[in-house]
Amino acid sequence: MRMSLNLKIDWLTRISGWTPWFAGIFVIAGLVHIASVLAMPMLAPVDAFARLANATPLGQLVILDNGEPGKELLPYEDPAAVIAVCRYDLSKGAIRLKANFDGEGLVLMSFRNRFGTAFYAMTDRGTSRGQLDVVIANRTQLDAIEAEDSEDEVPSDLRLLSPSAEGFVMLRALALEPGQRATAEARLKAISCEIEQD
Amino acid sequence: MAGILKTIVVVTLGVSLGLLSTWLAVERGHGFGAVNAGVWMSWPKTGSSDADPYARAVVARTGEVPLGVAEGLSFLARTDENGDALTGRCDYSVRSPVPTGRFWTLTPLTLDGGRFSPAGERSGITSGEIVRRADGTFEILLSRGVRPGNWLPLARAEPFQLMLRVYDTQVSSTATAVDARVMPRIVRGECA
Repeated sequence: MRMSLNLKIDWLTRISGWTPWFAGIFVIAGLVHIASVLAMPMLAPVDAFARLANATPLGQLVILDNGEPGKELLPYEDPAAVIAVCRYDLSKGAIRLKANFDGEGLVLMSFRNRFGTAFYAMTDRGTSRGQLDVVIANRTQLDAIEAEDSEDEVPSDLRLLSPSAEGFVMLRALALEPGQRATAEARLKAISCEIEQD
Repeated sequence: MAGILKTIVVVTLGVSLGLLSTWLAVERGHGFGAVNAGVWMSWPKTGSSDADPYARAVVARTGEVPLGVAEGLSFLARTDENGDALTGRCDYSVRSPVPTGRFWTLTPLTLDGGRFSPAGERSGITSGEIVRRADGTFEILLSRGVRPGNWLPLARAEPFQLMLRVYDTQVSSTATAVDARVMPRIVRGECA
């Protein structure tokens, strides 16, 4: 009886001696977990922007070839959609996107920061009478644009403040049947995306 | 000396455990804010600035560009309605309804999010291609063998997932919950 009690006390002393070390493991694990989750967007080598940076030019709208099945540039894309990308770097100037939609085919537009999250998104139905005129700019560029506004007129363009200097506009046009792909592609090619000249 | 050794062990274990938990969290899903509707799951905020840190980490790793809230809503199913994992060894029937939207598409994907069908083959079916019954309902058959009607070929006898994208939908702006009754059913048929 005494033997087993001694053993138990001995065991408890040992365990309690380890407690701070166990606590240390969990505290470190927690900190590493939080830090690595938060850091991942900054450290991920092949996020969407990095993939597009290798495949698309700056300040120009291009139709994206998403690659063969199994070797897609961007995963989880709809094979029924034609994709176009206009990558920007505001240090080279603000970006202006202009389009004229007929309201028939679906065109999705999203304005994305360096990390691929959309700070603004719309479809062709969200435009005013099919007309789209968007400027993506940083604070300084927006101030410069606003300074030139005439006081009597309401500006007709949509002005977006980009949360990061780099980013991209992602355009997707849906082809409901394979035969409509050419039309969908033409819809995207009719959109202009250019660096604003001061 | 023992103290230094213990410290090294604790730090190594702590760092490994932390990285392992991050890997599990990022590998297994798309962060918080998942909307469940029967077998279908959606992460409506993943593509927007409201995305949580886990969703951002997942997107950074996979390289995907998820739909923005105003563009539409995508749903992913990895099992049939009995809870069995979807595989190209079996036939499936996907039955209406679909949430209301301007257009929708249904696409089989590999578990990595790539196209399940080889190049040149039908890689999905859209709302514009569907043949409906007189009452507006429809059924899409997924199988490796050719089927009459709405047929979506399954290229290989391997696991896959189904993605349903509903574009220009009213559901997306209010998506904190989606009624499973407005989502398509996935019923398994024969298996090879």
